[in-house]
Amino acid sequence: MRSQSFPVGDTVYEETLDNGLQVILLPKPGFQQVFCSFTTRYGSIDNCFRTAGESAFRTVPDGVAHFLEHKMFESEQGDVFPAFGRGGASANAFTTFDQTSYLFSCTDNLRPNLELLLDFVQDPYFTDATVAKEKGIIGQEIQMYQDNPDARIFYELLKALYVSHPVRIEVAGSVESIAQITKETLYDCYHTFYHPSNMVVFAAGGFDPVPVMEQIRENQARKRFSPAPVVERHPAEEGDTVRAERVETPLAVSQPRCLIGWKDAPGDVFGSALLTQELATGVAMEAMFGRSSHFFDEAVADGLIDNQFSWEYERAVTYGFSVIGGNTPDPDRLTERVQRQVDEVVEGGIDEADFERCRRKAIGRFVATLDVPSAVARSYISYHLRGAQVFDTVPVLESLDVDQVNERVREHFVPGRRAVSIVHP
Amino acid sequence: MSAFRSYQRDRVWLHVLQTSQFRTCHLLLKLCRPLSRETVTASALLPYLWMEGTRRHPSSLALARYTDSLFGASLQTATSKRGSVQVADVYASAPDEQRFRQASGVFEQVSTLVRELVMDPNADAGRFPEQAVHRTKSLQEKRIRSLSDDKMSYSLEQCVERVCRGRPEALPRLGFADDLTGLDGSALWRAHQAMRQDCVMHAYLVGDIGADAAFLEAWLAAWHPGADGNAGGRVASALDNRARTQPIPSRGGSPERVVERQNVQQGKLNLGFTTGMSLSHPDYAALVVLNGIFGGFPHSKLFRSVREQASLAYYASSRLDGLTGVVVVQTGIEPGVADQAEGIILDQLAAIQRGEVTEEELELTRKALQNQYRQALDQPVTRCEFHFTGALAGVERDVPDLLSAIEAVTTDDVVRVSQALQLDTVYFLRSQEAQAHA
Repeated sequence: MRSQSFPVGDTVYEETLDNGLQVILLPKPGFQQVFCSFTTRYGSIDNCFRTAGESAFRTVPDGVAHFLEHKMFESEQGDVFPAFGRGGASANAFTTFDQTSYLFSCTDNLRPNLELLLDFVQDPYFTDATVAKEKGIIGQEIQMYQDNPDARIFYELLKALYVSHPVRIEVAGSVESIAQITKETLYDCYHTFYHPSNMVVFAAGGFDPVPVMEQIRENQARKRFSPAPVVERHPAEEGDTVRAERVETPLAVSQPRCLIGWKDAPGDVFGSALLTQELATGVAMEAMFGRSSHFFDEAVADGLIDNQFSWEYERAVTYGFSVIGGNTPDPDRLTERVQRQVDEVVEGGIDEADFERCRRKAIGRFVATLDVPSAVARSYISYHLRGAQVFDTVPVLESLDVDQVNERVREHFVPGRRAVSIVHP
Repeated sequence: MSAFRSYQRDRVWLHVLQTSQFRTCHLLLKLCRPLSRETVTASALLPYLWMEGTRRHPSSLALARYTDSLFGASLQTATSKRGSVQVADVYASAPDEQRFRQASGVFEQVSTLVRELVMDPNADAGRFPEQAVHRTKSLQEKRIRSLSDDKMSYSLEQCVERVCRGRPEALPRLGFADDLTGLDGSALWRAHQAMRQDCVMHAYLVGDIGADAAFLEAWLAAWHPGADGNAGGRVASALDNRARTQPIPSRGGSPERVVERQNVQQGKLNLGFTTGMSLSHPDYAALVVLNGIFGGFPHSKLFRSVREQASLAYYASSRLDGLTGVVVVQTGIEPGVADQAEGIILDQLAAIQRGEVTEEELELTRKALQNQYRQALDQPVTRCEFHFTGALAGVERDVPDLLSAIEAVTTDDVVRVSQALQLDTVYFLRSQEAQAHA
């Protein structure tokens, strides 16, 4: 078990087991709770793949990774939730574009709860009847998101930005696509993506790392796994153009909303380069569109935006995009204003004082997440799967300079890679 | 584990949780006044108007730039409704300077800033500047309008308002958009003065603050310079009759049925129940356990029956408000199955009322609640909110008190309190097109 201490005061313990499973432990002395997750590098974008020995790629129905996440909670003995309940743990799971995570938090009985997590995720059990039943439940989950303006406008933006990259597909799929899912689809995806060598166990909270690591080692040593499949994902063939420059969706909202997004240039980004790119873009966007920007102040004064206006940037290995926007009475005028702000910064750069203030804010906000085990876990794992170390956030932010950030602005905000998504009443 | 220590000077309370567990320190202010039709809109606007600047940082931009430079110190204001009490909330946090040396002096600066926000806003000659007023009113109007955008929270709020109809608890949290028009800089300044003069304020400080006697004295004196006779501040219970809530009484008779139609795909069915009990009631812990067995968790009756057995919904849950005692069941369904879903929900409650609660259900619920409340000990803001809710109901309580009360709850207690649930309102938000066929 290797350990590494970081200047913010945290120590991380790490080990790769014989079967390839990575285990990462982050003790937080004084905390009542322990948060544990078991995550696979498998999300909604992994919808076209082949394993070694297969000549053709196969495409699975949209929403399989998420459907699988739901069905893992059923074992041959029945529902897994009550078993966590007996251990006083609260269990859950989530699926994103590039990962599926099973998790629990507890304040007692860590050992049996951890055992349960490791065992249920490594024990698939699907039947025709349980798969059929889940379609009603997930169908309602999909309908719920269809009515949700935040989810809807975001997915419509990605559909406009991307021509073929699977990030343009909703994580849960559609009512039609999940209708095609069978237990065979689920077993196929499970055996392809749930091998221990494709997975990570993470724990953060009030516990002693030595016995916890020992327990995970013993648990894994008891189980037999076939050799790790060599999985090849179909490479994304995403170019430098968007599918649609502007899309509109009618929805039951009180006023229009508008999101303006840019996708990164084609090409993979991984590891510390990814972390640096994400932080540099974040500092730039905070300076351009944050609460302390002239843009925000003036757009509010002109009645063009309200406090719900926000920005975000997400960078994964094969895709990256920025999103800016919120409620607005006039989507076209907001788009024009955002574009003007981008043009001005591409031209004249970010002011040194703005850069420094936004960098400090980013440092402070990172420190605040360290008090929330579930938040640390989520960002740690997400960066880990993308080859980066989240605890490098403070040193990377401290090493950034304004030229680097300005360079990043010029590189990202390219006119041909922009799309606009509008939701209106 | 550390506990809150409370100090009081007249209407000002200071609750301090000294702890070195966290990397961030937190400061919360809760300025409380009774909800009333006449003052709700102006009072709801004030916390947002404060963010338009102080005398020292006289615009929202200046304020935002100052807080960002304090290592991203968070400064937020909001308006909340807690039972019959309207609360102006101020929240600030900053990196803990004991752990994070770069942030030396930040807590003192944030603490001063929060005081200036409420005590020394950007106002002149008895009025707030019209530009700031205009801007805040315009944002507030949008805030009010967008409340209907999230259908889950919108339908919940509609249901609760129906259950509380005719009482101050039914007033909308942000007030009325129509009343904004009549509010100008001087009317708002008068509302601000009125709030300053008669609110009960609960302040919470959490972190490695090292609050000694001189610190406490300075704090209380700064917030309440007019009060005298109690110079040292005294350790006191958090009881204060001037901001106290009561549970919503049961009305009797058949439930009110409301159907609202909007252009939505999924129907939102909400069932509102009164209990007549709040967290000052001796049976409150049993009510918490009952709500957990009914619909608080994935092992609960609602989740198992509506979702897992009937496959009708993605979510089906119940929630209990500790101040009004109102329980609301929420679920999202196909509009065509509303009657079926309502039948299943009411059957689950009837089963509990007949005594059909297994030992396992009780045990799982107790454990799940203990897990939830113990985790709250790791969450400074949750812990302050928990304490504050107690203060509003007239009880001084911390998380461990509720934990031990939950441990003592029996099946008989649960069945007994379940008899208190009276279905008051069935609120259903559904699609437009079904109207044509109905």
